[in-house]
Amino acid sequence: MSLATKHTFATYKKNNTIENGDLVVLYLSKENLILIRIQESQEFCCKFGNYKHADMIGLQYGTKLGSNTGRGFVFLLYPTPELWTLILPHRTQILYIADISLIMSYLDLKPGKVMIESGTGSGSFSHSIARTIAPGGHLFTFEYHQERVAVATKEFEDHGLQDLVTIECRDVCKNGFGLVNKADAVFLDLPAPWEAVASAKQAFRQDKVGKICTFSPCIEQISKTVTALTEQGFVDIKMYECLIRFNEVRILQISTLDEALEMERASEKKRKRALPRVLRESFKNRLQQERDSQEQDDDQEDMEGEGEEEGESAVKKTRVDDDDNASQQGSSTLSSAVGTPSSFRSHADVFIPDESVEPRESIESKNVTVTRLPVEQRGHTSYLLFATFTPATQQPSLTERNKTAAAASK
Amino acid sequence: MATLNPADIINAGEHVFIKMPSDNVKCIVLKAGSSVSLGKFGTFKANDIIGHAWGNSYEIYDRDSKTRVYHPEGISEVEETANNNREIVDDPTSQKLTLDDIKALKSEGLKGELTGEEIVNKLKESHATFDKKTAYSQAKYLQKKGKKFHKVFTPIKPTTYSVNEYFYVKNPSKIRDIRMDTLSQLLSYSNVHSGCKLLVVDDTQGMIVSALAERMGGKGTILGLYDGDNPHYDIVKYMNFDQETLDTIKVLSWLRIHRPADEKTPDEMQDVTQLTGKDLEGYHRRLKAYNIVEESRKVLFEGNFDALIVASQYQPESILEKLLPYVAGSRPVIVYHGTKEALLETSTWMRRSPDLLAPQITESWLRKSQVLPGRTHPEMSTWGTGGSLLTATKVIDQPVQAALTKRERLAMEKKNAEAKKLKRAREEAESAGSSPAPSLAAAAAAATETAATDVATMGEEEEITTTTTATITTDGDDEGRSVKRAKQE
Repeated sequence: MSLATKHTFATYKKNNTIENGDLVVLYLSKENLILIRIQESQEFCCKFGNYKHADMIGLQYGTKLGSNTGRGFVFLLYPTPELWTLILPHRTQILYIADISLIMSYLDLKPGKVMIESGTGSGSFSHSIARTIAPGGHLFTFEYHQERVAVATKEFEDHGLQDLVTIECRDVCKNGFGLVNKADAVFLDLPAPWEAVASAKQAFRQDKVGKICTFSPCIEQISKTVTALTEQGFVDIKMYECLIRFNEVRILQISTLDEALEMERASEKKRKRALPRVLRESFKNRLQQERDSQEQDDDQEDMEGEGEEEGESAVKKTRVDDDDNASQQGSSTLSSAVGTPSSFRSHADVFIPDESVEPRESIESKNVTVTRLPVEQRGHTSYLLFATFTPATQQPSLTERNKTAAAASK
Repeated sequence: MATLNPADIINAGEHVFIKMPSDNVKCIVLKAGSSVSLGKFGTFKANDIIGHAWGNSYEIYDRDSKTRVYHPEGISEVEETANNNREIVDDPTSQKLTLDDIKALKSEGLKGELTGEEIVNKLKESHATFDKKTAYSQAKYLQKKGKKFHKVFTPIKPTTYSVNEYFYVKNPSKIRDIRMDTLSQLLSYSNVHSGCKLLVVDDTQGMIVSALAERMGGKGTILGLYDGDNPHYDIVKYMNFDQETLDTIKVLSWLRIHRPADEKTPDEMQDVTQLTGKDLEGYHRRLKAYNIVEESRKVLFEGNFDALIVASQYQPESILEKLLPYVAGSRPVIVYHGTKEALLETSTWMRRSPDLLAPQITESWLRKSQVLPGRTHPEMSTWGTGGSLLTATKVIDQPVQAALTKRERLAMEKKNAEAKKLKRAREEAESAGSSPAPSLAAAAAAATETAATDVATMGEEEEITTTTTATITTDGDDEGRSVKRAKQE
C-alpha cells in the first residue's frame, strides 16, 4: 500500500481533513496530549469536556473544537514523530528531540537511506527515522526484549510505518545484525555498544562512506567504544553533548525606585498610628537633617498649588514636633513632584542634582519582556559518539594487522 | 546488490571540501585534469580522486605527486610511564635540528623524497628531552608534528552537516550564526519530508533552504520569498544538488507577488509573428521568465503550506501576519534568529494571535569532547551561540461547535433571562386584560427571536459564531483568553 493512500505518521494526508479511522492528537494543554483513533460511535471525555468523535469527522486538522458542554476546548492536531516523542508510553528511557535531530543530521539521513538501529526501545527515534527516509529508504531495527518488540511492532503497524520499518527480536551483541553490505547508517543505543561494532562494520555498504553513532550515558562506555571503533578501522571519531534550553517568556512590570517609595510612604501613612514613639523620634531627627541640606525654595514652588493627600503644602511648613506631619511630609514631597522628575527631590536622593543642567534621560517605569529558564533543566541525556566508515579499504582490524606484522617479523 | 549513485562518488565540476592534516578545511571546485595545491602540504592531481567513492583519505607521495589511499594508524592505547614534567624546562635548544634543517626536511618532503612519517621521526630523534616526556605528552607531540608534515588529505562530501560546519567556522555571520544542532532542530520541528510544500523566508544565504531541499530528496516544493534583486541562496551551489532537487526550489520576490504595473503578460508583449532572430530569442527568454514568476505566484496562492519558516533580518511579526493565512492547519511555524532577545516581542505577538498555538523559544547548547584512550575530556574551547528558535503550531480558530467562552455563555444566559422576563411581563399584562393577540404574538416573536439568536450563537451558523468569537479575540482581549487558559493549565 503506497504511503499516499494510507494515513501515516510518515507524511501528511492530502486533504488535511479528519475522516473515520484517522489518527488525531488531541491537544488539551502543553502537558496534556493524547492520541486517539477516530471511531464514529465513540466519545472522548476529559476534564475539559466531552467530544464526540463524529463531531471531529469532516473538520480540518488544526481546528479548535469546543466541547459539548460549552466549556473548554481542544485542538485537533496531525500526528507527527515529534508529537509522538512527547506522547508515547515509555517502556524504556527514550531519545528526545535534541539528540534525535543532531544524530539524524550527522548520519546524513534523507529519503532513500537505509539505516540500522539497535535497540528499538520505545520506538521514539524509530518514528523520526522512518519519516525522514521515506519513501524509498528502510529502517532495520533490533530489540532483544520480546515484549517490547511486540508493542513496537503493533505501533509501527497502527501508525502506517510497517512498509518502512523491519523490526526483529535479536541480541545484536551476541549474534550480530545478520546483515551484510546493506546500511548507510548505524545507530547503537546499547549498554555495551563496543560488542556490536564489528558486526556493524559488516552491515555497512562496503563500497561507500557510512556513518555510525553510539549513544551512551557513561564516559566509561564511550572509552570502550572508541577503542572498538579504532580497532575496526573507523575514522574521524568525535564526541558531542547537546542540550536544549526551553525558555519561558515573561513580562515584568518594573517600577522606578521613586514610584516604589511613594507607594511605601502611602501605605506607611496608613499605618502611622502603629509607629512606636522611639521610631517617630529618630524619624523626626532624620527628616530634620535631610531638610537642612535641601534647597527648599524649589520644593516650595513645586508644592504650592499641587494637590496632596493631606492638604499640607511645603516641607518648610511642616512642624517637626507634629507627629502626624512626619510621615505626610515625605508623601507630599513625592506626590506633588511625580509629574516633574527633573526638579524632583525625594528622600532617597543620594546627591543633589545641578538644577541648571538638563537631566540626560527621564527614568520611567517600564514593562520588560524577559526570558527565564525553569529551575529544573535537563543536565545530561547521553554522550553522542560519531565515527565514519570508509569504503573499499577492507582493512582487517588493527589487532589482526599487528598479528600479521608480528608473525612476519619472526 | 545496489549500485553506487552519482552522489556517492566524487564527480568533476562539483564542489569538494578538502580536509588537510592541520584540520583546516578548504573548499574547491574540482576541475578534471587540474592540479590542486594544498600549500605546504603538497599538490595532488584531481583525476586521481575523480570517480572514487567518498570517505577515503589520500597520501601524496613520491616526486610525481602520486596519491594512494591512506590507512591511518589509528589511536593506540598509550601506556603510562613513570615520567612527569618536573624536570622539563621550556628550552628552545631541546630540538637539535635548526630552522634551516627543518626547512630542508620540509622541501624534501614536498618533493617526495621523504614521507611525513620519516620527517616526524627525525624530529623526534633530534629532540633532547623527548624521552623524558610523559607518554601522553609524547603522543601529543607526535600528533602535532604529524599535522604539520604529513601529506594526507581527505575529500569530504558536501552535505547539510559538512557545509554548515564549514561556514559556521569560517564565516558564521554569513549564515547568521545558525549552528548544526539548531539547524537540525529546525528540520525536526518543521517535519520536513519527501513531498511536502514549504514556505520559507531565508536570510541565511540559503543554508536553511539547502537543508530543507536535502531532506525532501527531490520531491515537493520550497517557495522562498525574497526582497532585493535576487534571493541570495549562495549556499545552495555548494550542495551539488541534482537537477530534480534544484527544481523543487522556487523563488518569488515580495514585490512581484502581485503583478506590478510595469510587468507585461505574454499577450501584452510584442507580436510574435513579427519577430525573428535575436528579437525572437529575447521574446522567448522574457516569456520563460514570466512563466517562472507566474508559476511561483500560483504556488503561493494555492496556500496549504506544510510549514512556514522565517529566518529574516526583518521584524518577524510583520512577515508572519502576511504569510500565516497560507499555512494549513496543524502545521509548524518556525522563526529563527541569531539572538534570543530579537524573538521576545514576536513570542508575545504569537501568544496573542488566535492562529498560533503554544509558542516556544529554545536555544541549543553543544559541546565537543576529545576522545582518546585515557585522555578523554571536553575540548578546551567551545562554541558560543548557535542561534535561537521560536516555534508554534498554526491552528484554525473557527470553532465549529459551541466553543463558548465564559463571557459568551454569561451573555447568552443573561439574554435568555431577559427574554423570559419580557415574556412573563407580557403574559401578566395580557392576563390583566390588554389585547392578547399582538402581545402574544410579540412575546412569541421575542421568544423565537431569542431562541433563534441562541441557536445562532450555538454555532449552527458558522459565520455568526465566527463573528462572535472574532469579536472576542480580535479586540486583543487577553482577559478572555487567559480565563480560558487558566482553566486549562
